[in-house]
Amino acid sequence: MTPWRTRLARGGAAGPLAVVALAYAVLALPHASGYAMRVLGTAGIYALLAIGYGFIFGLAGALSLAQGAFMGIGAYVSGILATRYGIPFDAALPASIGLPMALALLVGVPVLRLQTHYFALATLLIGQTALLAATQWQSVTGGANGMGGVPPISLLGHAISGRLPTLLTIWAIVAAGAALAWWIGHGRLGDAYALLRANQAASRAIGIDTGRLRMVAFLLSAGYAGLAGSLYVHALGVLSPDVLGFPVMVTCLTIAVVGSRLRVTGAVAGAVLIIELPEWARFLRDDYMLAFGCILLLVVVALPGGLIEALERLLGRLWAPPPERLPDPLPLPLTRRPPRSDRPLLEITGLTRGFGGVRALSGVSLSVRAGEVVGLIGPNGSGKTTLLNAVTGIFPPESGDIRLAGHSIAGWAPHRIARLGIARGFQTAALAPGLSALDNVAIARDAAGLGLGRAVWASPRDPAWRRARREAMALLDSLGAGAHAGVLAASLPPGIARLVEIARALATAPRLLLLDEPAAGLNETEQADLAPRLRGLVDSGIGLLVIEHNMAFLAPLADRLICLDQGALIAAGTPREVQGDPRVIEAYLGVAPSGEDMTAPFSVAPT
Amino acid sequence: MIGLQLLVQVLALGAAYGLVALGFVLILNATGAVNFSQGDLVMAGGFVAVALGDRLHLPGLVLLPLLIAIMAALGAAVALVAYMPLRARPPEAVFISTIAVGIILQNGANRLFGAEPLAAPPLLGVGPGGGQVRFAGVTASVQSLAIIAVAALLIAALHGLFVHTQFGRRLRATAQDREVAMAVGIPVDRMIVGTFAVAAALAGAAGLLLSNVFFVVPTSGGDYILKAYIAVVIGGWGSIPGAIAGALLIAAFEVIYPSLPLLLPALNALPDSDGWFSQTVSTVMLNLAVLLILFVRPRGLFGEPIGQRP
Repeated sequence: MTPWRTRLARGGAAGPLAVVALAYAVLALPHASGYAMRVLGTAGIYALLAIGYGFIFGLAGALSLAQGAFMGIGAYVSGILATRYGIPFDAALPASIGLPMALALLVGVPVLRLQTHYFALATLLIGQTALLAATQWQSVTGGANGMGGVPPISLLGHAISGRLPTLLTIWAIVAAGAALAWWIGHGRLGDAYALLRANQAASRAIGIDTGRLRMVAFLLSAGYAGLAGSLYVHALGVLSPDVLGFPVMVTCLTIAVVGSRLRVTGAVAGAVLIIELPEWARFLRDDYMLAFGCILLLVVVALPGGLIEALERLLGRLWAPPPERLPDPLPLPLTRRPPRSDRPLLEITGLTRGFGGVRALSGVSLSVRAGEVVGLIGPNGSGKTTLLNAVTGIFPPESGDIRLAGHSIAGWAPHRIARLGIARGFQTAALAPGLSALDNVAIARDAAGLGLGRAVWASPRDPAWRRARREAMALLDSLGAGAHAGVLAASLPPGIARLVEIARALATAPRLLLLDEPAAGLNETEQADLAPRLRGLVDSGIGLLVIEHNMAFLAPLADRLICLDQGALIAAGTPREVQGDPRVIEAYLGVAPSGEDMTAPFSVAPT
Repeated sequence: MIGLQLLVQVLALGAAYGLVALGFVLILNATGAVNFSQGDLVMAGGFVAVALGDRLHLPGLVLLPLLIAIMAALGAAVALVAYMPLRARPPEAVFISTIAVGIILQNGANRLFGAEPLAAPPLLGVGPGGGQVRFAGVTASVQSLAIIAVAALLIAALHGLFVHTQFGRRLRATAQDREVAMAVGIPVDRMIVGTFAVAAALAGAAGLLLSNVFFVVPTSGGDYILKAYIAVVIGGWGSIPGAIAGALLIAAFEVIYPSLPLLLPALNALPDSDGWFSQTVSTVMLNLAVLLILFVRPRGLFGEPIGQRP
């Protein structure tokens, strides 16, 4: 395939859509009526709104219902500044973009903590309150009637009058906004958001500050909405409370869903389609909104990813891009190789944590040294995973202390703990399904450095990202999963997914690695292969704490075993000692051992 | 005495909101998804009640069983169209598909009944007005008292359905754990359709009760879904008694806040006191109060019934 065709195929639906848009601009636009241009201008404004909405609803995956309100606030700020104080469109932008962002910042701190439906309600209430405030605060906003006489868009002192110049200005701004959104979403930061959407705990476990990432997305969406609102009020010439109404939000959501929530092209194509639809469906007249509802329902049901993703699948069948070339492996510099010493790397003392009335952990103390494998066993529900969650900060302990190399980390946020050098795997591998195995590992390299500033300046050609991918390749090779590097995580067999997750944990260059049943889902060959690789890591100076039911796998690997039962530590020692401990046998089998046969080392069947 | 009068109003409004919230929470428990068309089903119920009243000239109480049957069928249709195809998708998909159902219901109602406010027949009698009863110095409208009685009866009937019938036990099993319910042979899909039917019937009953007092227009639903959503959030996501408690709290706020100058005459001395206790400001205050609750207690006033275990 020639390079340009490869590039075109990788661009998905963008190429064909650009051709259609260009053809329309050249062939139809010069003859379009003023009314048609006005509608197309509105479509552009909604495109901008939906591109912005893509940050919070697409990238961050949070159902916000405040996007319409942010647009309305931008419209009101710009409209009021223009009519009452004579401040033109461009001079008012800092306020009309800034105020929605400031409001997003203000409400974002508490609201972004909320999970899905709570977040949706909170954002819905914010929108409704803004609408009521606008209609109530008559002296400033013009109340329910709004205000007329908003001057047209002006740039650097030049008023842009006439339909065509207005239309072209709007779409030039849309193009710039789309380019910026694409740029931000298509690099390491985009990959980090993909993991955030898939699994928040896993993102935090590699040092991503998920709260900050969500806030960045919320702020960007508010800023785009403010700009869209400002354009809207100047293009329309009238300020009315309609712009704050829920129908604007519903239209925006519909555009995002119909277009494809993860595609900038989806926002643009969706906006043109949804805003132009009433014009094309004029014959339906009063039934238009009815048809609109039916179309929305149909698209949600029939095209899960929206139109653009459907189009991309279709194009992919016609001319699939060649598989991406895998980077040359670059061995990871082990910058944090800790000295082998007798001082414990991880020290847990008196750790207690309950859920409601259940004591999940009570007064557990244990330690892990650098270069040591400690196995954590115990029946189901004995508190093993809760212990891991407490150490990694997901559930802060109620009492007791956790120290990593002498620093107390109890109560720290998970991403800070991860950055200090604790990495973990999950009971079921938590990868971003839409990313390749390689990219899943590469995100974890220097995840602390991810941010909007870096994404804007460096993405997607960030040299640090290229190096991260080469290092990820080396890590996958070292675990024997290099052959699967280019495969999407969603299609990886469970055993390989587990190795990819371990590689991702190692990519954070941890001092301590926590694994939750790494052998589960692996066949015997894979298990036999994994054990020496883990041993190799530990010999290089990492500490390893591993939960495992499979004694055949764990006993030869572990230097020491610790057994929990009902949240308390009941035995610790060499594998032989612990396996022979009568309390351990009782915990597993539910009976006190009687007779000699029961004290022999036994193998616990995997559950 | 004014206190008692307000109490009757709170109970009547809270009972109607409670029916809406109850339908919302039933679907939530059975599917894990938000039915955003619940408010529009209330609106639809209001219009169906208007249409039935126009044709049959019977009191609302007599129309109620017929209305419930029609609305149950509508609810089952919503389940088949907007939930069943999306079972395996993230909950947002259902959120959006039910928004679409709401758009269809609103515009369908607009087409059939127009945008003018209409009133459903009162529960007792057929005329637009309703009588008043005076008891021990308290004046209350017959409609308010009838709403309280009907809502209480419906909630009691629902309780009976859940506790004493096999269908109800299966519904509860489906809501508690879909996989296990499926594993023991409960036809989970049919139970979910049944849940939508019950939820829509409750919404329809609420529509009949509310649209006599507040009238019904095609856009009435937006307000009701918001009330149901808020009730379920502050009552604890997924808790049935919590939903009713939440509905009563909202009703108490909506009735008492605008009446504050009446209860505390000192407030009249405030500058622009009328402006501060208008219906709009009351809604803004309610919204702010709910936001405050969410900020302070991110899982609702009473917490979720089941703690999360990742």
